Amino acid sequence: MKLSFKGGIHPLKELHEGKGKTSALPIKDLVPERVCIPVDMHIGAPSEPCVKKGDQVKLGQVIATPVGGFGIPVHASVSGEVTAVVTRQMLGKKPSTCIEIASDGQDEWVALGPLGDVEKAPADKIVQQVKDAGICGLGGACFPAHIKLMIPEGKSVDTVILNGAECETFLTADHRLMLEEPQRILKGLRAIMRAMQVAAGVVAIEDNKPDAIKAMKEAAQGMEGVRVAILKTKYPQGGEKQLIDAVTKRQVPSGGLPIDAHVVVFNVGTAAAIADAVTEGKPLISRITTVTGAVNSPSNLRIRVGTSFQDAIDAAGGFSEEPGKIFAGGSMTGLAIPNTAISLTKANNGVVVLNQKEAVKKEPSPCIRCGRCVEACPSLLNPQYLNVLNDRADLAGMKKHNVMDCTVCGSCSYVCPAKIELCANFKEAKEKITARRV
Amino acid sequence: MRGVFVNGIINENPIFRLVLGVCPVLAATTSATNGLGMGLAASFVLLGSNIVISLLRNLIPDKVRIPAFIVVISTFVTIVQLLMQAFVPALYEALGLFIPLIVVNCIILARAEAFASKNSLFLAASDGLGMGMGFTLGLILIGSVRELLGNGTIFGTALFGASFEPMLLAVMAPGGFIIFGLLLGIVNAISNKLSTRKGV
Amino acid sequence: MKLRLSTGPHLVNRESTQTLMLDVLIALVPTTAAGIYLFGTKAAWVLAVAVISAVVCEYLFQKLARRPVRVMDLSAVVTGLILGLNLPAEAPLWLPAIGSAIAIILVKELFGGIGHNFMNPALLARGILLASWPARMSVYHLPARVLGVTEVVPAGADVISAATPLIRPGGYQMYDLLMGNIPGTIGEVCKIAILIGFLYMLFVGTIRWHIPVIFVGTVALMTWVMGGDPLRSVLSGGLLFGAVFMATDYVTNPMLKVGQVIFAIGCGVLVSVIRMTKAFPEGVTYAILLMNILTPLIDRWTSRRVYGMVKKHA
Repeated sequence: MKLSFKGGIHPLKELHEGKGKTSALPIKDLVPERVCIPVDMHIGAPSEPCVKKGDQVKLGQVIATPVGGFGIPVHASVSGEVTAVVTRQMLGKKPSTCIEIASDGQDEWVALGPLGDVEKAPADKIVQQVKDAGICGLGGACFPAHIKLMIPEGKSVDTVILNGAECETFLTADHRLMLEEPQRILKGLRAIMRAMQVAAGVVAIEDNKPDAIKAMKEAAQGMEGVRVAILKTKYPQGGEKQLIDAVTKRQVPSGGLPIDAHVVVFNVGTAAAIADAVTEGKPLISRITTVTGAVNSPSNLRIRVGTSFQDAIDAAGGFSEEPGKIFAGGSMTGLAIPNTAISLTKANNGVVVLNQKEAVKKEPSPCIRCGRCVEACPSLLNPQYLNVLNDRADLAGMKKHNVMDCTVCGSCSYVCPAKIELCANFKEAKEKITARRV
Repeated sequence: MRGVFVNGIINENPIFRLVLGVCPVLAATTSATNGLGMGLAASFVLLGSNIVISLLRNLIPDKVRIPAFIVVISTFVTIVQLLMQAFVPALYEALGLFIPLIVVNCIILARAEAFASKNSLFLAASDGLGMGMGFTLGLILIGSVRELLGNGTIFGTALFGASFEPMLLAVMAPGGFIIFGLLLGIVNAISNKLSTRKGV
Repeated sequence: MKLRLSTGPHLVNRESTQTLMLDVLIALVPTTAAGIYLFGTKAAWVLAVAVISAVVCEYLFQKLARRPVRVMDLSAVVTGLILGLNLPAEAPLWLPAIGSAIAIILVKELFGGIGHNFMNPALLARGILLASWPARMSVYHLPARVLGVTEVVPAGADVISAATPLIRPGGYQMYDLLMGNIPGTIGEVCKIAILIGFLYMLFVGTIRWHIPVIFVGTVALMTWVMGGDPLRSVLSGGLLFGAVFMATDYVTNPMLKVGQVIFAIGCGVLVSVIRMTKAFPEGVTYAILLMNILTPLIDRWTSRRVYGMVKKHA
C-alpha cells in the first residue's frame, strides 16, 4: 500500500521530472582549487570568523565559531591558505562574510575526535558532536541539526522520519546517496534515534527510485526499529507536512512544527553527515549536488562547501548552450542566481541551467476560475481566492484565509493555465504579513 | 437660477445621475409617447409641488413635514390625473396605475425635502422645471430606444420596413432593465469623458 | 552572460487558456460536423456567422475600450460556436450575429472580460434571443439528411415544421434520439457526437466528470421517480449538450468539487421541475442560468478545510 497525501501535482512528467539525465550516474568527487565559504549558510546568526588572511588551515579546521543558540561552526572544506576574509553578495538578502581558501591540493585532515560505533557511542554526547560538526539540514533549509535533536520541554517524539522523497524536479543527489551509501544513512538514523531516545525510524522514499528502495531495504535488514516506507511519487511529497501526513497519517497543526505531531524529520544527506560526525569525527565539509540542464555532462557531484557555481558547472562539462537562467535547487522552489561566481553552500542540492528559450516566462492572463490550483494545493488552500484578495492588497483577508499555511511549493503556479504568478504573490504577501504584524 | 435649472437636466439628472424614480422609468418607457406623457405629468406635479412647498416652507412644522409634502403632491397628482383622463384618455389608459403612483415618485419627494423646503420660490421653481425636464428627456430617450427596438416605431411612426422583426424583449421588463442599464453606462461614460476634458 | 532572475516555479505546465479552449473546440467538432451533416449548409452558415460575429465583437470592444486584445485565447470562438449550436438551423443570419454580440459585449466584456462573467455568455444570449424573438427561435424542422436507417417521420406528421421530442414525447425512436434524426437545435440533436466530445475532454483533462454525470443523473433519477422513462428524457432536448458544454464552463460554476456537485444537483432538479410543470418545453437554459447565479453563494458555503486544522496536541 503506497502512502500519499491530498493534492499535489506531477511536474515535468513528460521529462521524467528532469531526472532522466542524472539518476543513473554515480557520484563524482569535485575538489576545487579555491573555495569561498560564507559564514551564514545556516538558519540562525552568522558565525564569527576565527581565522585571518595568511593563516594555514587543515581540512575540517574550524574557521568560524557559532554565535547564539542557533549557531553552528563553519569548517574549512579544503586544506591550504586563507587568502581573504571578505564580504560578498551571495543568495541571501544581505551580503555575507566569506572566508576564501586556496587549496594546497593535500586535503590534510585536522585532528578528529570520533565517538565510535553509533550503537555504542554515548547518547548524551551525540548532540554536541553534531553541533561541533557544523551539521545543518541538507534538504535545502539548513536548519541546525543539533537543535532538532533536542526535544523541548513538554513535547515528545515517537518517530524519526528520514526524507528520501526528493520530490523536486531535476534533483537526483539523495537518490544516488541512498543507492551508493545506504549504510552511512542508516548509521546516521540510528545515531539520531539513540540521541533522542526514539524507538521508531522510517526512511521514506518515493516509488520512482526502485533501486534506492531496494538498496535501503537490504541495508536496513536487522537494524533495530528501522523500516523503509514507500511513497507514491507526487510533488511535493518531500515537503515536511505532506511527508508526515503520508507516513504517520497525522497532520502538523496549523502554525505548528513537526514536533507537535510527535515526529522529527531529517534529510537522508543530513543523516549521512551525522554518521560521519559520530563514527569518524568528520565535520560537514561536502555534500552531493546534482548539476544538470544545458551542460555537457550532467553529473551528481560531491562538492566541497564554498565551491563556486562556475567550478561546479565546469566539472559538469561546462555550458552546452548559451544559458538563459540558472537556479539553485529544483525548478519548483529553486532560487535563480545572478552570476556563477557565488558559492555553493551546505544547503544547495542542485544547479540547473536553462537555455535561453526555456528561461522565457509567459505573460499572465486573467484568471478563468478553472479550479486547477485548488485541486493542486497540498495545504488545501484556495489559491484562486487568495489571488483575488492579493489583487485587492487585502493582507488581513489573506491571513484570515490561511496564506500563512502556504508552504510556497509552487504547485498552484505550475498548473495555472493563465500563467498567473500565484506562488510568487503569496511568498511576497507572507513576507509582508510577517513584517507588519509580528 | 439658470444654474439650478441646468443642474436638473445634466449634473443631477434624476434618472441617469440620481437614479431616482426608476419604477415609472421602467414601466412608462415602453414607447416614446408614453415616456413623454409620464414626463410631462410628473413635471407638472414637480413644478407645482415645489412652488407650493417653497411658499409654505416657513409655515410647515418640521415634525409633520413629510405628510404635509405628500398632501401637496397628491393634490397636484389628482389634478393631473383628472386632466389626463379628460383630455388624453388613450395615454391615461396606457400609463394606467403609474399616474397615481407619481405621488410616491422619489424624485418629487426628494426635491421637496432636499430643495424646495429650503429655498426661495424662484429657485424652487427652477429646480422643479429642471428636474422635470431632465426626467422627461430621460424618459423620452429610454422610451425611444425601447420603442425602436421593440416595435420598429418612434412616437408611433414606423421607421423600418415590414421586414423588421422587433426585439420583443425590449418592451418587456427585463429588456427595460438591460436597456436602462446600458444607457446609464453610456451617459455616465460620456459625462465622465466631458468632465475630464473640462478638467473638472 | 545575462541570467534571468525570477521567482520559482521556473518551469510550468504547458497547458494555457488557449490550449484549454482549443481542446473544447476539438471536443465540439463531432457535434458541429453532425449538425452540419444533418441540417445542411444553412446550419454551417449559422455557425460561421455566430463565431465570426463573436470574434469581431470581442476585438472591436477590447480595442475601443483600450483593453488588451485577447482574441487569441479562443474563448470568443468557443462562445460563438456554442451559441450557434444552440440555435435552430432555420435561424435567419442576423440572429446569431446579434446573439454573439450580446454574449460577448453584454454578458462578458461589460462585466470585466474573461473570467468575470457571472453567467454563461452563450446561454444568457440564447435566453435573451428566446425572449426577444420567440417565433424565430422555436421553429425546428426535421433534419435535411439522416444518420443511418431510420423511421423518423411519424405517421401523419407535417414534414415542414415538426415537434421536438420534448413536445411530442414518445414520438421518436430511441435510435433517432441517439443519432440526431430529430428536430432540435443544431448542436443538441446528435447525442453520440456530444458523448464523443465529452469523452475527449475527460481524456485530455479539460473537464472533470462530476458536473455532467451528476446533472444528467439527477434528471434521470427524478424522471424515474415521477414515473417517466429516464433514458428517453435524458436523450431528449438540450440536456446532454447543456450538461457537457455549458454547465461545465469554468467561470460560472463553483471552484471546489463539493460545490460543483451541489451545482450539478441543483441544475438537475431545476430541469426536472421545469419540464414537469410544462411551463416551457425546455428547461436546461434557465436551470443552468439560475445555478450560475447561485455559484458565488455556493462558493461561500463550501470554503476549504486547511491542512493542519487539528488541535495542537497537549
